[in-house]
Amino acid sequence: MSMSKKVFVFDDNADILELCTIILEDAGYDIKTSSTSNNIIDQVLSFIPDIIFMDNWLPDVGGIDATKELKQHATLKNIPVIYFSANNDVKALAEQAGADGYLSKPFDIQELEDIIIKHI
Amino acid sequence: MKKCEAFIIGGSAGSLEVLLKVFPVIDSAISFPIIIVIHRKQGNDSMLADLLSSRTSLPVKEVDEKEKILPGTIYIAPSDYHLLIEQDHTFSLDYSEKVNYSRPSIDVTFQTAAEVYKDGLVCLLLSGSNSDGVNGLKSVKLWDGIAAIQNPDTAQVSYMPAQAQQHVKIDKVLNIEEIGGFLNLLS
Repeated sequence: MSMSKKVFVFDDNADILELCTIILEDAGYDIKTSSTSNNIIDQVLSFIPDIIFMDNWLPDVGGIDATKELKQHATLKNIPVIYFSANNDVKALAEQAGADGYLSKPFDIQELEDIIIKHI
Repeated sequence: MKKCEAFIIGGSAGSLEVLLKVFPVIDSAISFPIIIVIHRKQGNDSMLADLLSSRTSLPVKEVDEKEKILPGTIYIAPSDYHLLIEQDHTFSLDYSEKVNYSRPSIDVTFQTAAEVYKDGLVCLLLSGSNSDGVNGLKSVKLWDGIAAIQNPDTAQVSYMPAQAQQHVKIDKVLNIEEIGGFLNLLS
């Protein structure tokens, strides 16, 4: 039996987290979600995902700083981070954060699955 | 009751999981429209329609302004607009004040539909954490429609159906696995 690939989604919108959970569990992924990027390193270390989705607007520590923290970590820096936002500048924000890719909201199921396959 | 002309489902927190269980059971030959009003934030509209669509062979679409309401179609209220049912059996979308802190408000859709479909209307209120939908169900009863709720004991968040049970003469209290069968029998 092969282990499921793991996806960690950070978003303060509970609806997005619920939808991503249902969709990605359907597709066979092991998913964890969080509505805060506080203690990002501890959170990610507790799950060690294969890919991370990071919302731009998160309370306290925003998506940009959280992504930067991950990208400065000795081992976690290798986990691909996909930046997602409804902001028109999502591409520039992703670059500023040092993310590995980006996804504009709203997105559909296919776009979500495609970007995961592309990065892991 | 006379033949069902429209079936409207309202819900909030904990209602999506119910819809995902009910959709696969719905008969593809149903003779009336199903209209879904659930509270949600902006930003995930296409994903929700996509997800629900994957659970049924019936067409699932997000409502467009002034769209004609057709049988055998599942309509989803877009986020951030009230969804009104008009006398000529079309939808209208309205960006006025929130009702019960909600837009779309379930009350608004239930109330406008009650006056249009009268005893041909069935409204079902699912899991949720506020009392939106309760006044709507009262209107449904005033116009001789059928008021149904998800059994609060089976709801992830029981407050909304429990409030309805307390304040409205409910015709049907349904467990999750009974909802699809109930709906199919109306056709």
